[in-house]
Amino acid sequence: MDKTISLTLKVWRQKNAEDPGKFELYPVKDISIDASFLEMLDVLNEQLVLEGQVPIAFDHDCREGICGTCGAVVNGRPHGRLSKTTLCQLHMRHYSDGDTIVIEPFRAKAFPVVKDLVVDRSSFDRIVRKGGYVSVRTGQAPDAHATAVSKPDADLSMDAAQCIGCAACVAACPNASAMLFVGAKVSQYALLPQGQVERKIRAQAMVSQMDAEGFGACSNEYECEAACPKGISVSNIARLNREFLRSSI
Amino acid sequence: MSRLDARVPEGPIESKWKNHQFNLKLVNPANKRKYTVIVVGTGLAGASAAATMSELGYNVISICMQDSPRRAHSIAAQGGINAAKNYPGDGDSVFRLFYDTIKGGDFRSRESNVYRLAEISNQIIDHCVAQGVPFAREYGGYLSNRSFGGAQVSRTFYAKGQTGQQLLLGAYGALMKEVESGNVTLLPRRELMELVLENGDAKGVIVRNLLTGDMERYGADAVVLATGGYSNAFYLSTNAIPSNVTATWRAHKKGAFFANPCYTQIHPTCLPVHGEFQSKLTLMSESLRNDGRVWVPKTAGDKRRPVDIPESERDYFLERKYPSFGNLVPRDLASRNAKTVVDEGRGAEGGEAVFLDFQDAIKRLGENTIFQRYGNLFEMYNRITGDDPFKTPMKIYPAPHYTMGGLWVDYNLMSTIPGLFVAGEANFSDHGANRLGASALMQGLADGYFILPRTIAHYLAEKGPQKVDTTSGVFMEAEQAASDKIEKLLNINGTRTVDSFHRELGRLMWDKCGMSRSEAGLKEALLKIAEIRDAFWSDCKVAGVENDLNQVLEKAGRVADYLEFAELMVTDALNRGESCGGHFREESQTEEGEALRNDDEFSYVAAWEFTGVGKAPVLHQEALSFSAVHLAQRSYK
Amino acid sequence: MLAKFLKSSIGRKQIVAVSGLLLMLFLVFHLSVNLGIYLGPHTYNLLAHRLEQLGPVRVVAEAGLTGLFLIHIFFTFLVVKASRRARKIGYAVQSSSAQRSLSTRLMPLTGTVLLVFIISHLIDFKFIDVNNTLLAVVEEHNLGLYGIVVNSFRNPFTSTWYMIAMIAVGSHLSHAIDSVFQTFGLNDGDTHRGLHKSSVIIGTLIALLFGSIPLYVLLTHGSLLQQ
Repeated sequence: MDKTISLTLKVWRQKNAEDPGKFELYPVKDISIDASFLEMLDVLNEQLVLEGQVPIAFDHDCREGICGTCGAVVNGRPHGRLSKTTLCQLHMRHYSDGDTIVIEPFRAKAFPVVKDLVVDRSSFDRIVRKGGYVSVRTGQAPDAHATAVSKPDADLSMDAAQCIGCAACVAACPNASAMLFVGAKVSQYALLPQGQVERKIRAQAMVSQMDAEGFGACSNEYECEAACPKGISVSNIARLNREFLRSSI
Repeated sequence: MSRLDARVPEGPIESKWKNHQFNLKLVNPANKRKYTVIVVGTGLAGASAAATMSELGYNVISICMQDSPRRAHSIAAQGGINAAKNYPGDGDSVFRLFYDTIKGGDFRSRESNVYRLAEISNQIIDHCVAQGVPFAREYGGYLSNRSFGGAQVSRTFYAKGQTGQQLLLGAYGALMKEVESGNVTLLPRRELMELVLENGDAKGVIVRNLLTGDMERYGADAVVLATGGYSNAFYLSTNAIPSNVTATWRAHKKGAFFANPCYTQIHPTCLPVHGEFQSKLTLMSESLRNDGRVWVPKTAGDKRRPVDIPESERDYFLERKYPSFGNLVPRDLASRNAKTVVDEGRGAEGGEAVFLDFQDAIKRLGENTIFQRYGNLFEMYNRITGDDPFKTPMKIYPAPHYTMGGLWVDYNLMSTIPGLFVAGEANFSDHGANRLGASALMQGLADGYFILPRTIAHYLAEKGPQKVDTTSGVFMEAEQAASDKIEKLLNINGTRTVDSFHRELGRLMWDKCGMSRSEAGLKEALLKIAEIRDAFWSDCKVAGVENDLNQVLEKAGRVADYLEFAELMVTDALNRGESCGGHFREESQTEEGEALRNDDEFSYVAAWEFTGVGKAPVLHQEALSFSAVHLAQRSYK
Repeated sequence: MLAKFLKSSIGRKQIVAVSGLLLMLFLVFHLSVNLGIYLGPHTYNLLAHRLEQLGPVRVVAEAGLTGLFLIHIFFTFLVVKASRRARKIGYAVQSSSAQRSLSTRLMPLTGTVLLVFIISHLIDFKFIDVNNTLLAVVEEHNLGLYGIVVNSFRNPFTSTWYMIAMIAVGSHLSHAIDSVFQTFGLNDGDTHRGLHKSSVIIGTLIALLFGSIPLYVLLTHGSLLQQ
């Protein structure tokens, strides 16, 4: 009843961090167009297991586009071509029968490949460690209405805070820069009164960790915004630039 | 029975928690660093508990199976978080939130715990705002509230449709701040394999490093499990794919009682199943029911497209049966009624779904207003199904969502194993037989930020700092047991995939122990679960090797546990011969087909003791008594 | 603090941006002088003469300009080097989104073209003897710098190379002006689209005005190859 398609997958296979890795071709048949991209990989993996082969490792968790775990570069684009969509929310109806799909891991020095399509994004956690929070201890807070926050600022802060930390921005950037990720976090707090006390120290510490992790510099290509499944604006990078300059003088 | 002491403090309900906090022992600030606490799970409950205990000065080992603590499934909660702030001035109070929660749980929760939850709710909002959680605000700059899930007051705080994400990122930030301080050791990509007991007390864990496959031993003075719920027993649910019962189940096998496993919540507004390959069900915010009308064709077997069905041949069954609440009846009613019409053969286009139609709302309010209210949800629906809800009605169907049952805990959130604390969805405590919308986030954070750090201190102070030797016999034995289990899985080498067993189990549980349960069906399920389990251990094929990132092996371990746990769930459902909240027994209904509670026989928490795989567990009852509220039958007519 | 700033990726980028901005201001000044060619040989040579007469001010300005160039190039080099290191293994399939404008994509190329052009340009027009009559003679009249310019541009190879370089300038500026705002955080999202448009317009205008000169020479004086 369902419409199905058959495809050829060209998938990056790499046993571990030391393995040089290579592409392998896999034909997949009769995939329902209602299946998600990851479900299509599930089907292939079940087939591989039954054939006694090692299934393709890929990260995934919530499969509803919010946890930021999944992600691969599909035909040259992180999370595939569809805008504002994570790989788990990309459905096969966007492909045609007979297509060849090339699937590669996110590529960045700061994201070493762990296995196949799985990369290590702990560099993001280390950046957050340096200041992606307001240093308030449980129990210290005043009443939630002690400080009013202008709605436009609160809304902009929320827009920035929507980042799911999937790292598609880095994968898409020709320089493998993490400026959109860091910009979003710094913006979220720079826009709120709660974030003011640590505003300068946060911008300095997070940028310095970002550089130490080996991410590239931003050259205003805006590929990050195009790849971001949450549509986070590059104006957050502009704000990061401003915050950094402000905190340097 | 003797082992179930809930340790509910004396005194009137309003002062129990206050008095209790005074009576709890304290750990001297200088001594806190002599204690280590392991926290498994980094969702709202786990991350907030780990962060707060580290702030207090304890050494904390924080373990999660994801690549980063930020990815725990609390992130997916959409709607909001309740608190009794009464900012809108519409008559809310701690007592009203408490009352609504008790009533919503169909009088099957522990009164003292629920009151404490309502009491703490306000502190949570204060703390999260201070953390920089960007809650929705009004033009005046103050926090915006909405009414949620049919509540009669507006007490829900929210951050777009991503409240869980924002609260979790707040807790994750707090956790990362403490990692930076050096008090927290963060261990991502590790899955709990065994709980280690020493002289009956929880003293550590064995975890498998998911990247290398190595078993690792960690010792501590206390262990916290904040490992979420078990909806994936149904295979298809709104939970994340790796969500599992493994941590709580393996603790259960070591002596922690499992309470009310049959209390599962089926969420009415999810995307329907559309194929065998499907891996999960996606939840759509319940707010859709505010303007959408639920209907199915009047005649069975009508497979026409919705546009081809004239108004006179449509049955708006919720509006028909519940004239005053209409499409806004509580989750369990909405779900069960959808199942009824589908079972009658009247599903949308002949399938397992009902229509959720916005045409009237679009006519009444205009496309723009509807877009503003539900634009992102419509887009999400369109992205997944390829259909545009502006043009054709959505198709929705209930899906397993949240599990109210969990490890039994006392008022201090300690399980029946001394030193093993359980928080968030993993424990059974606050939601009774049904959870109200926007209450899960509240409970997870109440447990983690405000309750556990106090009650664990008491336990630690009583015990005094202990030296834990992770090379001692108990640790080595537990590690061996974990390794043996992995080896056993790898050696089955059968002909079927892990997922095929999980799907088979899920289908069985959904049919026999889902929205509607009968004695015959449950008994049949008990037999079948054992059969599937036997087949799994003889015919499953687990590819790959132990010492590698092996996702099939991870999955196999989780499915193996679900195959044991499912029996307990069914046993509990069979034992509870009444209908209450999310648990509907066909034998216990009113003439109109509504759930019929039986307070005389079943006003208790069913806490189960493990006796062996495939062996009947032993039931322990914690009687529920209510002093602050009167038991009433729910009515939404 | 300054050392930390200069070591950071953002600091370096901001140095590139600010030096680029100053270079662009110089370029506008340069353009306004060049456009003097439309006022005829006399005025044009007078302008050139006045600049010659600035003496020490000119030396300082030239030193400053050279410094700016070196800073712009050096920090660009640092930024690019770090970015190349950030992705050692590239993608098998290359694909860009529509977000990335052509001028952005061409930055490495236009930058390199400009570097080569500036060197050749200095050799052609700066380090020559204005009083060398052989060079400065246009159709039997000794016309100083004006003559040198006209003679050069009558060579279609020189004109073409010059115009290619001016297209590179236009493209480079189309990305650069917009980028300066972004890099200093003056882009608040709503202004983004407008900024990019203005940037392209200014860049194109500067390129057209510069490029008009060789065209004017070719049209008015004819190509050397035709004679």
